[in-house]
Amino acid sequence: MKSATKWLKPLLATLIAGAGLAFAQVNITMNTVQIFGTIDPAKVTDYTEYMAAANLYDGLVDVDETGAIVPLLADSWEVSDDAKQFTFTLKDGATFHDGSPVEASDVVYSVRRLLTIDQGPSYLVRDVLDVDGVQALDNNTVQFTLSEIFSPFLTTVPLMFVVNEEVVEANAVDGDWGQEYLNNNAAGAGPYMLDSWTRGSSMTVKRYEDWHMGWHAEAIDQVRWLVTNDEATVRSLAAAGDLHMTSQYQSNETYDALANSGNFRVVEEPTATGFTLKLNTKVAPTDDVHVRRAIACAMDYETIREFIFPSDPMAGPLPPSFGDAVLDTIEVAEYDLDCAREEMAQSKYAGQDNIPISHLYVANTPFEEEIALMFDAVFTELGFDVTLMAEPWNLITEMATDVNQTPNVNQIFFGPTYPSADSMLFTQYHSDAAGTWASMEWLQDEQVDSLIDQARRTADVSEQNELYQQAQARIMELQPNAFLGLQTVRHAMDNCLEGFRYVPMQSFDYNFSNYSWTCN
Amino acid sequence: MSLTTPRADRLRAVRRAWYRFRRNPAAVVGLAMVLLVFVVAIFAPLVAPFPEHVGGFVDFRNRHQPPSWTHPFGTDNAGRDILSRVIFGYRISLTLVVFVLGLAVPFGVLLGLLAGYYGGWVETVIMRLTDVFLAIPALVMALAITAALSPTLLNSMIALALLWWNWHTRLIYTTVASLKHEEYVEAAKVAGASDFHILFRELLPNCVSVISVKTTLDAGFVILIGAGLSFLGLGAQPPTPDLGTMVSSGANYLPEYWWGSIFPGLAILFTILGFNLLGDGLRDLLDVEVN
Amino acid sequence: MEYLFFVVRRLLWSVVVLLGLSIVIFTIARVVPGDPARIALGPLAAQEQVDKLRTEMGLDAPLPVQYARYAGGLLQGDLGRSLLTQQSVNSDVRQTFPATLELVLATLILALAIGLPLGVLAGRYKDSLFDNLGRFVALFGVVTPSFFIALLLQLLAGYVLQILPVSGRLSPNLEFEANRTGLLLIDSLIAGRMDVFGDAVRHLILPTIALAAATIGQIARLTRSSMIDVSRKDYIEASRAFGIPNRITTFTYMLRPSFIPTLTVLGLEFASLLGNAFLVEMVFGWPGMASYGVRAIMQNDFNAVMGVVMVTGLFFVLINLVVDVLLGYVDPRIRIKGSQS
Repeated sequence: MKSATKWLKPLLATLIAGAGLAFAQVNITMNTVQIFGTIDPAKVTDYTEYMAAANLYDGLVDVDETGAIVPLLADSWEVSDDAKQFTFTLKDGATFHDGSPVEASDVVYSVRRLLTIDQGPSYLVRDVLDVDGVQALDNNTVQFTLSEIFSPFLTTVPLMFVVNEEVVEANAVDGDWGQEYLNNNAAGAGPYMLDSWTRGSSMTVKRYEDWHMGWHAEAIDQVRWLVTNDEATVRSLAAAGDLHMTSQYQSNETYDALANSGNFRVVEEPTATGFTLKLNTKVAPTDDVHVRRAIACAMDYETIREFIFPSDPMAGPLPPSFGDAVLDTIEVAEYDLDCAREEMAQSKYAGQDNIPISHLYVANTPFEEEIALMFDAVFTELGFDVTLMAEPWNLITEMATDVNQTPNVNQIFFGPTYPSADSMLFTQYHSDAAGTWASMEWLQDEQVDSLIDQARRTADVSEQNELYQQAQARIMELQPNAFLGLQTVRHAMDNCLEGFRYVPMQSFDYNFSNYSWTCN
Repeated sequence: MSLTTPRADRLRAVRRAWYRFRRNPAAVVGLAMVLLVFVVAIFAPLVAPFPEHVGGFVDFRNRHQPPSWTHPFGTDNAGRDILSRVIFGYRISLTLVVFVLGLAVPFGVLLGLLAGYYGGWVETVIMRLTDVFLAIPALVMALAITAALSPTLLNSMIALALLWWNWHTRLIYTTVASLKHEEYVEAAKVAGASDFHILFRELLPNCVSVISVKTTLDAGFVILIGAGLSFLGLGAQPPTPDLGTMVSSGANYLPEYWWGSIFPGLAILFTILGFNLLGDGLRDLLDVEVN
Repeated sequence: MEYLFFVVRRLLWSVVVLLGLSIVIFTIARVVPGDPARIALGPLAAQEQVDKLRTEMGLDAPLPVQYARYAGGLLQGDLGRSLLTQQSVNSDVRQTFPATLELVLATLILALAIGLPLGVLAGRYKDSLFDNLGRFVALFGVVTPSFFIALLLQLLAGYVLQILPVSGRLSPNLEFEANRTGLLLIDSLIAGRMDVFGDAVRHLILPTIALAAATIGQIARLTRSSMIDVSRKDYIEASRAFGIPNRITTFTYMLRPSFIPTLTVLGLEFASLLGNAFLVEMVFGWPGMASYGVRAIMQNDFNAVMGVVMVTGLFFVLINLVVDVLLGYVDPRIRIKGSQS
């Protein structure tokens, strides 16, 4: 009897402690539809990769829901009068995951690393910043000196994630800036640490106790991302309690099923991502502005927003969230076949029959096919010979590199990569950005180019906004798009999980330090 | 009383055959099914309740309507009547069959005749070529060819025709190889008949029953593989109604809107079943081995 | 000695067939549409880009030279580089092939396990319930497109009854790397992970049934007809006359010889089975070589397409080689006949 209690006691204690631990520990699982390609902050490019980086790394500053730049590793910053110099002061006490302090030299190292490797977010600043443009003034002051004024600069700083110089250099091979190491490991100061990563199937991160921003009481301890794009799998995982948040790409049926289960709710947020028809302005027949206007008149926007792709009305190139930069006199287009016929009558193709026109959409995307069918129905009636082309995304990006292989009409989603009007206007409409899937309009208009350039070189915000508005007016004159709608992002979330707020910056809304588990 | 003319003989033979055929209920059902499909396809614009739903037409307010009297098969994701699209889809299926077999059968039969009759290096070349084509599943090869030519209905028909001849070649080859030493062939040779005469006047007529049974059975298989191609997105492109495409796009809405893929799927099954029952019936009737 | 000669001849012939196949698929990929660079870049690609890629891929050489290079690579087991995954096609195939193999093997086992007994019973008890059931199964399997069977199974077992998973090879919340044989069922047993084994079996059931449907019917039909042929043979009549129980007659004297035609056809049936795998894998999101192949085909990845076709062909030819060699061993007459067909 005595001997029995002797070993029973510690066993019981362990069991109780274990149970208590399991109770206190909040582990959540979210599915993503794409695999994590890389987690190196100098190489991340797509939304899944940024999702990992935003949790593992912190930058000098952060972005909030309004798109405003707020302190993170830096607690203050100053901008010189000529708007070319930005000086950041680091906060005290911030540490990397290994406990070592975050110092100015780490920031300098990280930015130089970013610019040298030049495969990720560096494209935003490579024209205005070189490796000598970033300097440590002392242990906790970092100064950026730009070669010319670039007004959106501050909005790109959140993407310059800070890596731990010591750790990276200790693992560097032949001066490779630790690329091999950071491809599989994380060395950041972000809220979460990398726990495990099975390429192609899942990634788990766990909370960094000493994170410099501190933790709230309902914090998430561990986040696991499962890679699956199969609706049935998502539903069965959710039913088994193994999933707490879905990706934003599930089908209506899945959202409905999860909402009906009683354990989930569907959280909807408007976004700044526009869903548009990009009209190739350089090839017949969409080279004629009247044909493009006819297309803008002939889309049944209401039906699209109501039945095909739930979204908010979209007036012009800039979503309303860009505030004063938005030209608010642009009206949301309406479905008007008479308008379409009038515009066709004014075009150089007036009176012609069977005008060939191609319409491209992403293969195996039902709602895009429905929009294509709608386009086909209307434009066949308007005297066009419509060719519908369904292609996989990689072929679409390939087609977009050449003006003559870019079809007439292209269904494309585009949202800001940094919270500045520049991100929307430059990337889609500036000649220097031509030849990507984001700029299938091939607008190449001198006036638009110069307005965007001027805005980039203007430090004064209201002057800048004035220029952005002029650029929008000019773009609307040229009508390179039919603006179908602004995406509303939807996630099914466990009733106990709170915290998704749309942030107009690459995956920053998936920073799980902002989330909480409310059922304890 | 009864006058025996060749014509009356033939008539009697046909009547006897029809009598035997009628005693095989499965075959009669098969014939009826095939005839129904042909009639419906030919008169599609008259038969279909909503012929306008076949071209460029959308009505999103009516999407995913369940089966009803107005829409017996329901409506699809663009609000189009599925029954009408199935009826027009049969046109595509039958066009496929006629095109593919119309090219592949004569060509395959010709090669089979040559290989079987001449033997030697002609036989070696032709039959080894059929072996190569047998070394890869027809569907896989058809996929590769169609994709290479760009996915259109015409290209998938070409791809299937390119793959189909070898089955007929093999069949005719075995048949001819067993026939060529028959007395009447030897007799024709001795009488100095040309090779052409022997091939097409003596041997070919004796292959007709095998060919017709094989072709009927094949019609079903062509539809089967064609449906597979279009199921994977390599058939007729939207908005053309293609049964395989309809099944695959309807599958996006399982299980809630099951009718979108189930009815087109059953429609495919119906045709293939018809051709198979008919083919089996013909095989029993003409008493030939086809495999 | 005679048998050895047969095996060697059969082996050589397989190599010739595969060479022929490589010529055919090479021609399709590189001659018919004009230009693999064009296929790679899509129908709308600009000519100068196509030209650039042509040069990069070494396609300016005369076709026979290109073929020689490709065949040279093939002989060394090099399938070239995929345009899409930017990996060698070999490693892509190595990653995806085990999943397809597992599905196909499971299908063969299931088809034999159901088809053979059904055929035997149907042949033994002609025109009975078994016979009619066999006929129905055979007809159903032949006339129903495999992708449609797959969808019906998904709808019934997956959605209505909700008893089986409808997609994938393993639940995503199970972490397991099949790194020994690549076959989940075997690797999970080796690792002693019964949870993984059970989960893998559950995922395997529906795709296997969908793929086996056509084959079950064929096997049952053939076994039945050869059982009937054999039962007419004198020695069966004799064994009955000697009072040997029917049961023993059925299984000892009838089944063994009946198995020969079944085996022959199984080899050929394998082609349609592999073809259908391309459809079934797509429906069930099965991460196999067929899914990879379909993706490659859709995205005009010509090296991957040729690679998948060649591996499929090799697989098929090997199976038939094994079947023939087995048959040649069992039935010496085939050693003469078999070399001709």
